[in-house]
Amino acid sequence: MNAVPLVLYAVALVAYLWHFARRQPVVGRTATTLLVASALAHTFVVGMQTMEAGHVPVTNASSAISTFVWLLALAYLYTEMTTDERAMGVFILPLLVALQIIPVIEPGVEDRAPVLQGPLFGLHVSSLLFAYASFALACVIGVTYMLLFKEIKAKHLGFFYARLPSLQVLDTMNQRAIVVGWTFLTVGIVIGTIWAGQAQGYAGGDPRVQAMSLEDPKIFVAVLCWAVYSFEAFVARRMGWGGRRTAYLSALGFAIVLLNFVPVSYFLTTSHNF
Amino acid sequence: MRLLLVGLSHRTAPVELRERLDFHTRGLEAALRALGARDSVREAVVLSTCNRAEMYVACDSIESARDDVLDVLSRFHQIELTTVQRYLYESLDLDAARHLFRVAAGLDSLVVGEPQILGQVKDAHAASSRSQTAGPVLHRLFHSSFGVGKRVRTETALGSGAVSVSFAAVSLARKIFGALTGRSVLVVGAGEMGKLTAQYMRSQGAHRVTIVSRTVAHAARTAEAIGGASAAPWEELDAVLGASDIVITATGAAAPILTKARVEATMRTRRNRPLFIIDIALPRDVEAAAGEIEQVFLYNIDDLQATVRENLARRTSEVARAEAIVGEEVEKFAGWLRSRGAIPTVVALRQRFETIRRAELQRLDFKLSALPPEARAKVDEVTRLIVEKLLLIPTEQLKSLAEGDTSGVYADAVTRIFNLQTAAPASDEADPERSSGGRVEPFPAKARGPR
Repeated sequence: MNAVPLVLYAVALVAYLWHFARRQPVVGRTATTLLVASALAHTFVVGMQTMEAGHVPVTNASSAISTFVWLLALAYLYTEMTTDERAMGVFILPLLVALQIIPVIEPGVEDRAPVLQGPLFGLHVSSLLFAYASFALACVIGVTYMLLFKEIKAKHLGFFYARLPSLQVLDTMNQRAIVVGWTFLTVGIVIGTIWAGQAQGYAGGDPRVQAMSLEDPKIFVAVLCWAVYSFEAFVARRMGWGGRRTAYLSALGFAIVLLNFVPVSYFLTTSHNF
Repeated sequence: MRLLLVGLSHRTAPVELRERLDFHTRGLEAALRALGARDSVREAVVLSTCNRAEMYVACDSIESARDDVLDVLSRFHQIELTTVQRYLYESLDLDAARHLFRVAAGLDSLVVGEPQILGQVKDAHAASSRSQTAGPVLHRLFHSSFGVGKRVRTETALGSGAVSVSFAAVSLARKIFGALTGRSVLVVGAGEMGKLTAQYMRSQGAHRVTIVSRTVAHAARTAEAIGGASAAPWEELDAVLGASDIVITATGAAAPILTKARVEATMRTRRNRPLFIIDIALPRDVEAAAGEIEQVFLYNIDDLQATVRENLARRTSEVARAEAIVGEEVEKFAGWLRSRGAIPTVVALRQRFETIRRAELQRLDFKLSALPPEARAKVDEVTRLIVEKLLLIPTEQLKSLAEGDTSGVYADAVTRIFNLQTAAPASDEADPERSSGGRVEPFPAKARGPR
């Protein structure tokens, strides 16, 4: 079922690329329309899975990725509609397409382990996924910032100069995305900790629950992420870091997020493999 | 109806002659009236800018219209025809339309893609509307040209990129800071170039402009000339620098004033807020190495000129796409022009039907007179509606068939079948009442639907 949004995202990507290259307003509107259609189809898929399973489809890595893609698409659409800037779509859409391939080729079975009960678990995963979606946006904004920065510094005003909003705007958008992401990351980690405490009570014998400590790679990397983004959101600017360094940091932070999200989830963690 | 364009431009005529033939000096509307008064001229629009003087005329006969247009030109400007004739160019029908579309798109401008010309074309059209010299054909032609201008601007990069140094500086500042509102500008040196650039920044919304010069009196004078600017003594340069976002340096100093170390020192106090330095002095006022500092964007006059050249080159590469748009729009206009070929037939057909209706009502008058007045009015109304409904489809078909057909075979067939006598082509169309409106419907009022 995840294949339908995948195809739509891919078509939308083509439209965004075309718009980026040729800058025809009609193509731009078409691209947005296609992305809205993709997001709607994806909403339907996620909704169906929720109804089928009786909870938000986040209990295995594949469905969590699908939900993440959906949230990222929505977050991007929100940014595009509030700023009227389509240039970032060219960078976001490839990410959506690439990640959406995973649930298509390896559809996870959405049966919730008895351990994963209670509303706290759903909140934990949802807020983390939303945080990651924000970080993905921040990363893309950061990358575009660096591209534009390089062009202006090198005094070669070309491709990106004509297509991207100003450095100031990109920097502000980046900051905003980081703060939103950081908030949800914090909430997600706190709820996760509380939930783990509760799980000790009713499923203390589960080896995965026993493995829930800082020594588990997934948890460790999540905390590392939190440290990186806390630094970026609250310390970097006070230290006088300019937009370019914080942009690098956004990219670095999201690289860690992706690392945690895909390889760590599938291969390394002993606590979060449900 | 045919189109005739006679004119000259920066491509054909020297500036002295263009100045001499500027229609605005003697009044554009007077020229339009003079043109409109000629019998051969059915419609007229005059486009007069500092780079061109062009007369667009809709007429029935090119030969007589050309004579009249040239005569008006020479009388109006009191100039011998022989002195201007070799600078004039002439285009007919669709070539004239293509020429206007290219002009409106900025393709024929001195600086390709410059945006002012579209406004000037609009002004020319508005003037002819006021003097009621434009009719349905030129209204349509000019409205199409506005569409071409708009399409070229949104669909191509023909008008993009700054093509003057001070505009390049402002657009760079915009790319760094977003809007210029609330940004502070520092001008080092009280020279003319610095003043001009600062003035431009100010007109673009820059919040505060400060002039620093070795002689405070000079700085104060320049600040006054800019308006809303302030002057500061030379000793405060570092302090002002720390508070500014954009710095324009234009002194005559032999050695650099802003060294890398000096800029670095102020960057610390600025907490790495971006600093955009425009060095328009020769020799340089700012050490080139200062551009290596994180968050410092240093451009000198050569860099700005290089971006201007790049932009001009990029505009040239967009010309083909703009020409394609012009071609499409010429095609559309040609279709519309052809559809007008059916108008005399339509008019004659409607007149024929209306005559029959009147005659029949007349013939039955003795019977109808027995009816109460409301019923008689109803009969009149109903018969009129029937006629209009009968004619609705033939009218639309004649128009749309003519659009794709150059031979006029359908109009011809209708003329023969109904044995119509068509008047001189579309003579009812020069009605001044209709020419004053914006969009003009080229056909008589359509039949009203059932109520």
